[in-house]
Amino acid sequence: MAMELLRDLLPGWAVEWPKALNAPLNSWTNNFVTWLITEHGSTFEAVSNRILAVLLFIEQTLRGVPWLVMFLAITALAWFTSGRRLGLTILVSASLFCIGLVDPKLWDDAMVTLSVMLVATILCIVIGIPVGLLISAQDRLRSLVIPLLDLMQTMPSFVYLIPAIMLFGLGSVPAILATVIYAIPPVIRLTDLGIRLVDEDLSEACDAMGASHLQKLLSLQVPTALPNILQGINQTTMMALSMVVIASMIGTRGLGSEVLLGLQQLNVGRALEAGIAIVLLAIVMDRITQAYGRRLLRAQRRR
Amino acid sequence: MATFKKGPAIGIALAFAVTAGLLTWQHGGRAQQASDCKVHIGDLNWDSANFHDQVATFILKHGYGCDVTLTYGGTLPIMAAHYEQKNDLIMELWYDNIKDQYDKAEADGMVKRLTANTPDSTQGWYVPRYVQEANPGLKSVADLPRYKKLFTDPEEPSKGRFVNCIPGWACETINTVKLRAYGLDEHFTNFRPGSGGALKAAIKGAYLKRQPVLAYYWTPTPLLGELDLVKLEEPAWNQEDWATLMDSVAELKSGGEAAIADASVATAYRTTTLPKSVSTTFASQQPAIIDFLNKYTLPAETVSTALVYLQEEASGSAEDAAIHFLKTNDVWKEWVPATIEGKVEAALAKS
Repeated sequence: MAMELLRDLLPGWAVEWPKALNAPLNSWTNNFVTWLITEHGSTFEAVSNRILAVLLFIEQTLRGVPWLVMFLAITALAWFTSGRRLGLTILVSASLFCIGLVDPKLWDDAMVTLSVMLVATILCIVIGIPVGLLISAQDRLRSLVIPLLDLMQTMPSFVYLIPAIMLFGLGSVPAILATVIYAIPPVIRLTDLGIRLVDEDLSEACDAMGASHLQKLLSLQVPTALPNILQGINQTTMMALSMVVIASMIGTRGLGSEVLLGLQQLNVGRALEAGIAIVLLAIVMDRITQAYGRRLLRAQRRR
Repeated sequence: MATFKKGPAIGIALAFAVTAGLLTWQHGGRAQQASDCKVHIGDLNWDSANFHDQVATFILKHGYGCDVTLTYGGTLPIMAAHYEQKNDLIMELWYDNIKDQYDKAEADGMVKRLTANTPDSTQGWYVPRYVQEANPGLKSVADLPRYKKLFTDPEEPSKGRFVNCIPGWACETINTVKLRAYGLDEHFTNFRPGSGGALKAAIKGAYLKRQPVLAYYWTPTPLLGELDLVKLEEPAWNQEDWATLMDSVAELKSGGEAAIADASVATAYRTTTLPKSVSTTFASQQPAIIDFLNKYTLPAETVSTALVYLQEEASGSAEDAAIHFLKTNDVWKEWVPATIEGKVEAALAKS
């Protein structure tokens, strides 16, 4: 009643959104994407092929290595990065073992997923850390980049996945790029934060001793900020892993596509098995990256 | 502790009360319209089904005064619910692809088929016309091994890439068996695009770049209205071979790809009529609506035109496309009695 009264009271343009006030973003975007594909398709393909070459190399290596060797290698990695902590190493190796135990086929899928994730994470680190360093030094740039990061994290990934398929072709490359967009913010944010948290006094002492910007960055700021940066890498890895199911919706193979197939065939068991394997893989990645960061932090405190 | 929490608790309770009040208030105005006619439509995840569902929804809602609910999903979950009478109506049934399960549910008396909504629908393996013009020898699926280099899969460069249909759709398993039966699996990767949007984007992206692409697709669709694709020839459809193919599909579903290692018989999809399906309970309760649904039919060409509108003008909104279709066509007036027609017209004038 009150609603109707209000609707009657106000002029028509205030009740229904006026047609004239409509920016045709929809058709602009479509025309832009079509133009991009027809005019610059080959450029995107060149980029795509390079990423694909790296991915194929990593994927073939990971899948080619006998599972036992891979298993021992990752266990050893956990042992050394954690500073020889037995409990953590056992947790990691048990999780890893369970991936194959759930279904031997999943081991192969896990390696495919791992390689997609590794390429995405490497790209995130290579791009993210320099950007983080840059914005920690430049406040104005920072105020531009931070909202952009928010946008990247909130924009639903399908929005850029579909044009990415048209540009880069179906498969792993658009998935990797979408993963980078979604997973890069933490490493940028935490690099920036880590550098900002470096003690002012130490920084001034550095300046007083006549260190150049680069010297200060490499010998003081980065080492001190390293635990934070590693925390960022850890977060990035986890977010990259959370993208695998979405990535499978554009044809990326691996654990994600097992989940998708299981769901779409109403095969709950199959989906659950693959889901468990994703969780186990996440535990492995999380513990290894986190253990390394913790060890660095402990070493710093001792100093 | 308790006194500490009281403040926020009262606040939250108040907020709930106000929201609930507002919600019921708004509903009060509409409550008089509610009728004993309730239709639950299973909305499937492709354009033409969405379009038919919206046309039917509009007529049922405004013409017959029904309460219409749409549940959106993939073939498997929606059809599984339909076999259990959890939803009443499927506007576009790809009967050939899900024959086995459907026949079982029909024999159990749970569901029944109505007349075709599209009498002439096709599905098959397509390449762009410019690919065939540049390679005149590429006419049928048997020619594909010689041309696999055209369709090289960048992730597995020794093979070509066949872009299959969406996982969970029946055509995905049928195509997998075909790939084996035609002996193409050693030359082509069976690439599953993961979703309808991805399949469409893969074809359209390649088309815009004038690159070769080999993919499964079907009509009526806006994509085939828009792009010039040609269907590759396959062995002609016949009842016996199709049945063998469907047996292999059943083996594939239960035993995985190893189970179809010796599959060797497959045929083209046949041009099919796409019927509607209703639950038998609904059919016995609503004879007037069944009468309307049985009269409802549109040729593939009309549907394709409506779908191009859906994509180009209506920004993908099936509802807008349905309203536009009802406003610009008279064919639907033959489906309903004059009184219903008047009510639909009145509602159209308002939207």
